[in-house]
Amino acid sequence: MIDGLLAFSGAPVASAAPVALQIGDALGQFFQPTTLARVFVDGLAKAALYVMIAAGLTLIFGLMGVLNFAHGSLTMIGAYLGGAILVVLVGGGGPTSLALFFVTVVVVFGLLAAFGALLEVSLIRPLYDRPPVYQILLTFGLTLVLDELARIVVSFYGLQPISDWQAALGTKPALLTQSVGLGPVSVSGLALFEIAFGFVTVLAIYAFLTKTRYGLVVRAGSEDSEMVDALGIDVRRVFTVVFALGVGIAGVAGTLLAWDATWGASVPLASETLLPAFVVVIVGGLGTFRGTVVAGLIVGLVDSTMTWWFQNAISFTGLPEMTIFLILVITLIVRPQGLFGLAEVGGH
Amino acid sequence: MAVEATSDSWLARYAREHVAHLVVIAFFALYPGIHAVLTTSPVGAEAVALLPDVETMTAVCYFGLFAMSFDFISGYTGYLSFGHAAFYGAGAYFVVLAANGKVPFVPPSTSFMLLLVFAGLTALVLAVAIGAVSFRLSGVYFAMITLGFSQVLYVFVSGWNYVGSNPRDGAFVTGERGGFEIGVPFIDSLNVAIGQLTGDEIEGLLGAISLSAGEVSYYAIGAIVVVCYLAMQRVLHSPFGRVMVAIRENEERARAIGYDTFRYKLAAFAVSGFFAGIAGALFAGFQRSVTPDDTFYFLVAGDALLASIIGGFGTLVGPLYGRLFDESVREFLSTAGAGGGLLPYLREHVPADVLATELVGGVTVQGAIEAFLNGHASLYLGLLFVLFVLYVPNGLLGTLRERLGGTVASWTARQVERRR
Repeated sequence: MIDGLLAFSGAPVASAAPVALQIGDALGQFFQPTTLARVFVDGLAKAALYVMIAAGLTLIFGLMGVLNFAHGSLTMIGAYLGGAILVVLVGGGGPTSLALFFVTVVVVFGLLAAFGALLEVSLIRPLYDRPPVYQILLTFGLTLVLDELARIVVSFYGLQPISDWQAALGTKPALLTQSVGLGPVSVSGLALFEIAFGFVTVLAIYAFLTKTRYGLVVRAGSEDSEMVDALGIDVRRVFTVVFALGVGIAGVAGTLLAWDATWGASVPLASETLLPAFVVVIVGGLGTFRGTVVAGLIVGLVDSTMTWWFQNAISFTGLPEMTIFLILVITLIVRPQGLFGLAEVGGH
Repeated sequence: MAVEATSDSWLARYAREHVAHLVVIAFFALYPGIHAVLTTSPVGAEAVALLPDVETMTAVCYFGLFAMSFDFISGYTGYLSFGHAAFYGAGAYFVVLAANGKVPFVPPSTSFMLLLVFAGLTALVLAVAIGAVSFRLSGVYFAMITLGFSQVLYVFVSGWNYVGSNPRDGAFVTGERGGFEIGVPFIDSLNVAIGQLTGDEIEGLLGAISLSAGEVSYYAIGAIVVVCYLAMQRVLHSPFGRVMVAIRENEERARAIGYDTFRYKLAAFAVSGFFAGIAGALFAGFQRSVTPDDTFYFLVAGDALLASIIGGFGTLVGPLYGRLFDESVREFLSTAGAGGGLLPYLREHVPADVLATELVGGVTVQGAIEAFLNGHASLYLGLLFVLFVLYVPNGLLGTLRERLGGTVASWTARQVERRR
């Protein structure tokens, strides 16, 4: 398809043979152990971020059937909030320590969870009786409000809303800016930190869902919330708690992203994270946490592989960004309910 | 009864049923005049600040058509087409590429009326292709897969250097092609060119009326939008349209009665894509340049959604009023102040020392307005949107219909009937 497009766009047809040769070369290069290892680690780091971004979304959808369009905006707010706390704690710039980062994560989680609980009680609760489209509409309206508010506040403090917040990026500890030797390849410390952080988050959520009594209620509620209600458990409060939890996780993911130069804290981060989060959640199957983790891994690894290919062998500027949407479209064509999803969920 | 009904000529009955339409069309037709009179009257400054100017009204027309086409599929069949921007973009890019001679078999001098149809057909083919895959899904999944397709196209178009030297910034009409003409095909004297700079001006029409290029464009584009609206209206009032509503209300039952709902949905999606393509083509014809961000980006479909909810989801013309409202607010709070707005008005009419008064912590009144109002129309529209979703789910027109107990057209017809 790409060759056809290039030919259509007027590239000389004679260059077909060298291109094939280049692809042969690239194949050889790609399958060298160091390249493979680097692509793999990059992919894992991306996967960790994707899972972090999508985890809150999938928890909320799984229990309440609400596709939260404001998830990206909440992640963005988390990034700014986390960045602001870090910048204030360090006193105006310079690297910080990992301990301060964990303090920040806890504070951001708490603040956003409280905000999420407020949103659920005041805005989303009145809509449970309406068709699911209305929840999409409401949260979509919420993104408009939150993004614009963020833009007002950010520019009020003299920052450029559309470019990354450099001061927040600068608080990254020196430990994470170095690269670490892992056998034959050297990997950036940040990538390893992201992988570790993502891994711990996934374990924590998994443990919450399977090992605690509240998690049991959440899982039961995902199966059949009316039945849980009938058993005398206040499902409405469970809804609020899970929504708060999901929003809190979004905020934590945002805080992590504020350190990553490829994302960074900016207002457009809202849609930059929303769309991949949707892709991961839908590829995994709406509302299954296991599916989200697997899909995050797949999307992360495919993304890093394709990014390598498009940087080294195929020249089409937009294609790396296109990859994850192609994964979405292909998954929905082949397996409309997602990898682990049930056919009935998410339909009318 | 029957005798009475036939004693009326069908033409009179037809006119009566369309009184509401005629009133609305008359209002839109007289708008440039009303605007001109009001802005030169004693309340001129207020009028400039409050009323959208004619160029904005043109944008309301073509984007309103896009929002109507969005509502046609989303509001009537209940399938939220979140990737509708793909069809708008396809139509817009088709016109610019065709005018630059980059579409195979379409010479750059092809008449614009033909380009409109071709752009619509391109979008229709795209809609059939996307719909054939997407309508195997429903609900949230349908919204997401259409969003996925439109984002694939968005990224593709932003990276495709065939459209222009810098595809991320879009493409514009190059070469010597003058304004795109709208009118009766093949009769030169019945065509007018559109465009803010390239459009025709008309002087001495009927001896007295002179129209600027912007006003000519407004009327020409408005005429196309009316034709498209009536065509969609016709489809919705046909048995086909009834099946669309049946799908929205209860798809399983519609299938049980024996309708092949997949085909109906696909056909409705194709019709909707066709008109979205025409809307995009009008946009490109008027602006003469397109960018991926104001055509293919998913928030363009979000704007259509906004207009539809405020105007009335599931009422065909509602989105046009929704967009009118939307654009008026945006212009009122714009930073540029080209069409007049809140800030230029205050600067002129409020004493400077009031504007410079400190409120809290060194923030002046003017500073507060600039920080919280100007250029931040999205915030207030978003708040309004949330309130509409919560408390006025039927939108402006839908609520009006509920009050009147039927469509506005049938209500006015009844009123006229009663007063005869």
